[in-house]
Amino acid sequence: MPSYLAVYGVHMLFNDIITILTNKELVGYIFEGLINTLIITVIAALIGLFLGFVVAIVKISAEENKYMKIPSIICNIYTTVFRGTPVALQLFIMIFAVFAIPGFKPYAAILTFGINSGAYVSESIRAGIASVDKGQMEAGRAVGLSWNTTMIRIIMPQAIKNIIPAIGNEIIALLKETSIISMVGATVGTLTFDLNAASNTIYRQIPNFLASGLIVGCFYLAIVYFLTFVIKCIERRLRASDKR
Amino acid sequence: MISVKNVYKNFGKKGEIKVLAGTSCEIKKGEKVVILGPSGSGKSTLLRCMNLLEEPTYGEIWMEDKLLTPVDPYLHYDVIEASNTFKALLKNNETAKREDIILEIKQKDLLTNHEGREFRKQLKKIEEQYRIDINLARQNMGMVFQHFNLFNNLTVIQNLMLAPVQLKIMSKDEAKSKAMDLLRRIGLEDKADVYPSTLSGGQKQRIAIVRALAMNPKVMLFDEPTSALDPEMVGEVLDLMKELANEGMTMVVVTHEMGFAKEVADRILFMADGVIAEEAAPEEFFNNPKNPRLQQFLQKVL
Repeated sequence: MPSYLAVYGVHMLFNDIITILTNKELVGYIFEGLINTLIITVIAALIGLFLGFVVAIVKISAEENKYMKIPSIICNIYTTVFRGTPVALQLFIMIFAVFAIPGFKPYAAILTFGINSGAYVSESIRAGIASVDKGQMEAGRAVGLSWNTTMIRIIMPQAIKNIIPAIGNEIIALLKETSIISMVGATVGTLTFDLNAASNTIYRQIPNFLASGLIVGCFYLAIVYFLTFVIKCIERRLRASDKR
Repeated sequence: MISVKNVYKNFGKKGEIKVLAGTSCEIKKGEKVVILGPSGSGKSTLLRCMNLLEEPTYGEIWMEDKLLTPVDPYLHYDVIEASNTFKALLKNNETAKREDIILEIKQKDLLTNHEGREFRKQLKKIEEQYRIDINLARQNMGMVFQHFNLFNNLTVIQNLMLAPVQLKIMSKDEAKSKAMDLLRRIGLEDKADVYPSTLSGGQKQRIAIVRALAMNPKVMLFDEPTSALDPEMVGEVLDLMKELANEGMTMVVVTHEMGFAKEVADRILFMADGVIAEEAAPEEFFNNPKNPRLQQFLQKVL
């Protein structure tokens, strides 16, 4: 099969790109998709952060507190299952089996991304806490502080420096992963109409997938670049106490 | 001040690594005790058991008539006498003396998990009467670590103020003036607002010592305080420790500094294979060692 560019040439690609960008309706799709993608990502990330934090704390405190043993086993199953299976599969199961409620599809999708992301975030947080020197906890306990106080005042502030880059990575991955949402029914409900679905919609009017794909890709790239910038700023703030 | 009663400490999942094997010792008020011994003999573990950074597998730690560990039934005759095992043995052999039966139970480790309600009641009675929350007990025991362990996310003065303020022992102002006094004492008041990463090892360790002092502890535990220091910084830390000793602080020091042991210690404990092999005043300890392991050790280090 001859390649697209060989058949139509580069100038056709540019033509189509310009046609899309000058068409108000099509640009409207892109911005609607962009905003929906951001909403999905932000809500899913918040769910993920909350879940991840709770799970990490349960796992870490299980080392100290024997009443946390059973919750910790449940949390381990959770992270194993959600990190061990493809998110597309999880999405299908959640939408068509667990939450097969009419009109609930977009929310089920967001929830799934949140839960999936929580599994990754919990491991990032756990690893961040584990990376803090054991002597810090010992020193806190030795002056009479409780495990909780030492965790909050000493360990967490140091762990956060290691956690932020990992969580930033996770949010970037999540942002791009949300494009799977258009696989399971982009036309149902407005929220599932994400940036990637916009590309599909445009394709129906201007049948040049490379043109719409490149445009949407640029938007993804722009958001990720902005996110990276924000994370770098936060990191720089947090490293203040490391300065020599 | 601190009593260690028949403490065993096993490490590993099945307890296969036996570090302390029935150690007992008594630290009196105002006493300076130095613990010496070859590496792996359990001296650091013994020290860390004293403030329960390591929980003893068996045995008890007492501090000023307060029990820090769970009750060890083998150390209480009245508990053993309340056990089903004791009653069964007494029934089988009515002529035997109670002391002999208790001794037999202790030697053969006969107590099981099912010793009856009376036994549990006795345990609980002792626990309620003497047991104290470990966080409360630790407020009276300062600890200095080999690797300083200053809180990296806090400035020097915050390091000193954190515990007294968090535990509501002092107000913020009180804690601050106390912290500044302590820093002035070690000549580091200009370092109050810097982070620990900017300090030298000797400065870090001296600050770690005054951080412990900020809580007004009754006893100070030192876990190889000079082992991680560059040689030229050992002196300043030892000087501060000597100063503390002269002020009458109760001190337990695990160290390899023989000179410090000779000069400051009231009593030296020599540990080998998880037990205290010899215990003597410094003069006796260095000039007239009796235990062959100690003679060997001294030959190597002196």
